[in-house]
Amino acid sequence: MKFIACTEGHSSKIEAFSLEMIAAARSLAQAGDEVVAFFVGRDAEGASASFGAADRLIVARATRSDVIPAETYALLLRDVITAESPGLVLVPYSANGLDVAADIATRTGWPLVSYVNEIKRRGESLTVVAQMYGGKILAECEVPLPAVLMINPGAFAEAMPGPIAAVSVQTIDAEPALTGGKVKMVAIDVPDYADVDLTTAERIVCVGRGIGDEASIDLARNLATMLGAEIAGSRPVVDNGWLPKLRQVGKSGQKVKPKLYLALGVSGAPEHLEGMSQADLIIAVNTDPKAPIFNVAHYGATCDLFDLVANLSDRLRAGSGR
Amino acid sequence: MNILVILRMIPDSAGELQLAEDGRSIDREWLDFQLNDFDDHALEEAILLKEAGGAKVTAVAVGEGANRVLQMAAARGADEVVALQSEEDAMISSREIAASIAAMARAKSADLVLCGVQSSEDVFGQLAPYVGALLDWPHVSGTNRIVANGAVLRVTQERGAGVAVTYELATPAVLGVQTASKAPRYVSGSKLREASKTPIGRAMPESSGFERSAEIITLRLPVQGGSGENLGGNAETVADRLVTILAAKGLARN
Ligand SMILES: Cc1cc2nc3c(=O)[nH]c(=O)nc-3n(C[C@H](O)[C@H](O)[C@H](O)COP(=O)(O)OP(=O)(O)OC[C@H]3O[C@@H](n4cnc5c(N)ncnc54)[C@H](O)[C@@H]3O)c2cc1C
Repeated sequence: MKFIACTEGHSSKIEAFSLEMIAAARSLAQAGDEVVAFFVGRDAEGASASFGAADRLIVARATRSDVIPAETYALLLRDVITAESPGLVLVPYSANGLDVAADIATRTGWPLVSYVNEIKRRGESLTVVAQMYGGKILAECEVPLPAVLMINPGAFAEAMPGPIAAVSVQTIDAEPALTGGKVKMVAIDVPDYADVDLTTAERIVCVGRGIGDEASIDLARNLATMLGAEIAGSRPVVDNGWLPKLRQVGKSGQKVKPKLYLALGVSGAPEHLEGMSQADLIIAVNTDPKAPIFNVAHYGATCDLFDLVANLSDRLRAGSGR
Repeated sequence: MNILVILRMIPDSAGELQLAEDGRSIDREWLDFQLNDFDDHALEEAILLKEAGGAKVTAVAVGEGANRVLQMAAARGADEVVALQSEEDAMISSREIAASIAAMARAKSADLVLCGVQSSEDVFGQLAPYVGALLDWPHVSGTNRIVANGAVLRVTQERGAGVAVTYELATPAVLGVQTASKAPRYVSGSKLREASKTPIGRAMPESSGFERSAEIITLRLPVQGGSGENLGGNAETVADRLVTILAAKGLARN
């Protein structure tokens, strides 16, 4: 059986989850199977230098654009699927993967399971474990092959990066598909980190939707100041305009690894955990004892966050003599 | 421009979820159902597009409480509201409903289909790419700004690390909204009451058209806690413990 591991890279940086897709495929491959990495982008060299854990690499090389519209990625992937007849296509849960996975499943008519954490091979089918309801429920699913899976970043340990033999690399030209595509990239906005760079912060106090309203952010901000910490927020908090975008932690925000991460009223959805589960010390306060944030927390408390902020602030203030 | 916006009613994940006796679904008996957050943003984006350049917005709701949310949609500015019938007491699989949405998009001559980028029940795949692929229309997911200039859309998509990419595409198209350009608006009680007279259309579902799909065998709760320590629910004792823990790690002060 052939496995296609979908990989990505932007601005000459190979995404770490690419190596996870290859590792996931490798973990399922048996004697005689083949793991084929598929890459679309400008950094063909980076892909060749990194994806040695695959048996083969198909590179659709772009020369102009750094960001490949998912439409184009999916179109090129379809051709590869037709040519290779894989048993399984592994797509990362990324901004690109979100558009690619179900598109491919529709065009092939194949089954799709998203948000997958575990995969087991059982003859002609797979059993996979996927997350639902913001990580509160795990679904064990049976998946007849061939199929498409969308895999959570972090679910599989990265394959060893290393070069792949030149004879195992097949290069195709992505430009015709990019030029002929209906979706055109017109701008990339990279944030200015001059104001705040959470990725280098040593201490972070993160507020989630549980904070309730904009005015209450100040309570958490005062606590953060006392702790010498940066204030951060989950997506809904930033979406509501209560904190600037650069202070968002998670999948579409920053990936942080501070010494202290204090999460107040954050449920711990997979997209949030992706940005902070590697922190050295995670303390979570959430009134819901089943909140998934407790699965990654080193210390968890189920009290009201406002009570905790008030009590902790009092003690820190007293301790510092202020 | 004709905009079709999809509103899925999903169980409130902040509440307690319990498994049903069959072990393959969640117990829906006592659950609160609410509008999928991302669909709420999709609705807002639809209304903002209407306000900016004129559009007819048709809201399609599916699931428990669809009528209630359609009245809300009408109060916020939807011109037409339709409830799509769904199997009672079953999760809303985006893979299952995609064919019905695609059919409605055709029937309503939609130029743009908007829905939330994701729902907590879309374990078998996301609605926007399914509908886009079925219609063979371009689709972009994870948008946080949509601007229409006639039939040309400028769409900004959130990528990781705060990076945003803007695309241009022509209608017809399907977009999976992450965040509306502005936070969803509130509607007053009086507007809601007025909108409660809006007639609600009905639509029957189509077959999904997929011959083979994955199936849920069992649902389970994740093993709780891992190695973490539970400090309990008393804010005073928790604060005391945290001061000690932080001090021990040299993290208590600036
Ligand atoms: C493509 C994509 C990218 C995403 N990127 C990100 C991202 O970068 N970052 C991100 O955070 N999310 C991201 N999300 C969204 C994510 O799925 C969740 O919706 C989000 O993380 C939920 O935020 P929350 O925990 O603050 O809110 P909720 O899930 O609503 O949780 C609020 C929590 O507060 C608790 N609470 C309420 N009141 C109190 C109180 N008084 N005291 C204590 N606890 C209380 C509740 O029990 C609840 O658990 C993304 C989603 C998608 C689809």
